Amino acid sequence: MAPALIVCIGNELAADDGAGQAVYLALKETRLPEGTRLEFLGVGGMNLLETFSGEDHLVVVDAVQFGAAPGTVHTLDWDRIPSLGQRPVSGHGIGIREAIEVGRRLYPEKTPKHVHLIGIEGKCFNTLGAGLSAEVAGALDAAVKQITDLLGGLQPA
Amino acid sequence: MTTTITIDPVTRIEGHARILLECDATGAVEKAHFCVNELRGFERILVGMEAHTMPQITARICGVCPTAHHLVAAKALDRAAGVEPPVAARLLRELMYMGHMIHSHALSLFVLTGPDLVFGLDGAPATRNIVGMVETTPDLAKKGLRLRSLGQKINETIGGRGIHPVTAVAGGISFRLNDAQRSRLQELTAEAVTLVTELFGRTKGLLEDFLQKYPSLLEKINSPTWYLGTVNGGRLNFYDGNLRAMDAEGRIRSEFSAIDYAGVMAERAVSRSYAKEVFLDIDGNEHLYRVGPLARINVADGMETPLAEAEFATFRKNFGRPCHNAILQIYAKLIELISACEKAQMIVNYPALQGETRVAAHFTGGRGIAHIEAPRGTLIHDYEIDERGIVRKANMIIATQQNTAAINASLKEGADAVLGEGSDEAILNRLEFIVRCYDPCLACATHALGRMEMDVEIIRNGRTVRRMRRD
Repeated sequence: MAPALIVCIGNELAADDGAGQAVYLALKETRLPEGTRLEFLGVGGMNLLETFSGEDHLVVVDAVQFGAAPGTVHTLDWDRIPSLGQRPVSGHGIGIREAIEVGRRLYPEKTPKHVHLIGIEGKCFNTLGAGLSAEVAGALDAAVKQITDLLGGLQPA
Repeated sequence: MTTTITIDPVTRIEGHARILLECDATGAVEKAHFCVNELRGFERILVGMEAHTMPQITARICGVCPTAHHLVAAKALDRAAGVEPPVAARLLRELMYMGHMIHSHALSLFVLTGPDLVFGLDGAPATRNIVGMVETTPDLAKKGLRLRSLGQKINETIGGRGIHPVTAVAGGISFRLNDAQRSRLQELTAEAVTLVTELFGRTKGLLEDFLQKYPSLLEKINSPTWYLGTVNGGRLNFYDGNLRAMDAEGRIRSEFSAIDYAGVMAERAVSRSYAKEVFLDIDGNEHLYRVGPLARINVADGMETPLAEAEFATFRKNFGRPCHNAILQIYAKLIELISACEKAQMIVNYPALQGETRVAAHFTGGRGIAHIEAPRGTLIHDYEIDERGIVRKANMIIATQQNTAAINASLKEGADAVLGEGSDEAILNRLEFIVRCYDPCLACATHALGRMEMDVEIIRNGRTVRRMRRD
């Protein structure tokens, strides 16, 4: 089994932005393949780079807004992970794609070669204290299954 | 006839900014609006919660300035409980905070603004970004990112592992620093000072070249405003001190404690945004003002540390007091970055750092108000706490709320300078650049994946006559 790192990103205070946190808690109770490391990040961006320690595979779990029905769980490989925008105007605008592109150039020994995103389509992101929407809460099991299936099928790098 | 130009992400995503430009018949910009689509329920969810949870809960409100919320909440609780944290706790909090400032300013300067300085404002955005910068100037990018990472590590060594700190509590800090943690902090701060010393001249050089290439940025983006920032004994301080208000001519018009903020800072709801706008209410008039690095450098008489003080003197000699130029926030941020590194190293060597860190704090019913200089400007937390320790009312004033009017003024000036002859790309690049100088807080959500192209729409008499889109 190739060493893999799962990073769940989210903010449980902000409605469906809490999807990553909820999946993190569920994964903590799930048997994961040996050699898998599980991390939680309150924010993504450049902080993602700090979590790498030379794993072959990275799986990022986060809420997304790709325009699908709320609760849809997307599994995207590297080629399909979108950029957050070429030129962010604020520290809020740095995405995982940018962070990994930087990591690959500056810290190639640490940065995972293979990257997947498990994106849970959210419905509401702008109301604090609202909890997960029913659609997202109902998608957590599917997200965990997609993650364990993905990990089971990973080849050594 | 009025023309409205809208710059907006194609897919409406909560938390992202829109720019509206209203033009008159001659094409001159009449008004600019930077619209912040904020998180709703900011203060409401805090009501009914236990007061002692505020430092941890509020840290989670914002993804980019968690430590500012964490510490200002703890300071407000100290006041509500009527306690004074021990010296070691105060020092540890301030050191944690310097780590956060280093992290935040390094991110803003090297990751957000860096590509503008390295590549200029012209050309396709596909190469003018942090990835392009890593390829073109790998040494600068690597050192800038290392400095950011050092700040984060200083922050985490004291605040507890992870992005959201957990150790500041009412009455102090929840642990005592051991020798191993202290030597680690000594190493981290020493490396930060070395790095910032190396990076400073180079970054300043890039800024000077950039300003020579775009002289209109220095000539045009100079809308006069008042300024608000924190000083301690007259010198710039991020963690504590008095709030000082300066008028557009550079006269100090008020110096007050955060406890009295409501008498000086007037909040007003605006129709375009969930955020309230804030004005300085002094001498019976409302004054538009700015907070953040430039404001702090303007209101301060000097800096606490030698390298930062030397650069502060150069800034003042070249740009006067107050300096109104929005672009020079970059320079102000650089001076503050040096200051935070030096201050961190100074604190880590105080013997008092390893003393008692906590006094008992009980809530007997009352109000707690405190402030801190968040990286982007003055942040105030104000709580009413009942005798059972429950939050009954909460109010916060955040930096971007205070800066919105000034961002609008800068955008109006910037757009006026380019709209006439500029290409689509040039207009977008310059307006984005101006917003980036303020590095505004948008919705404090962390969800970060989705499409975010820019869209420019020019509307005349209700009809779209021109649309520009960036993929």
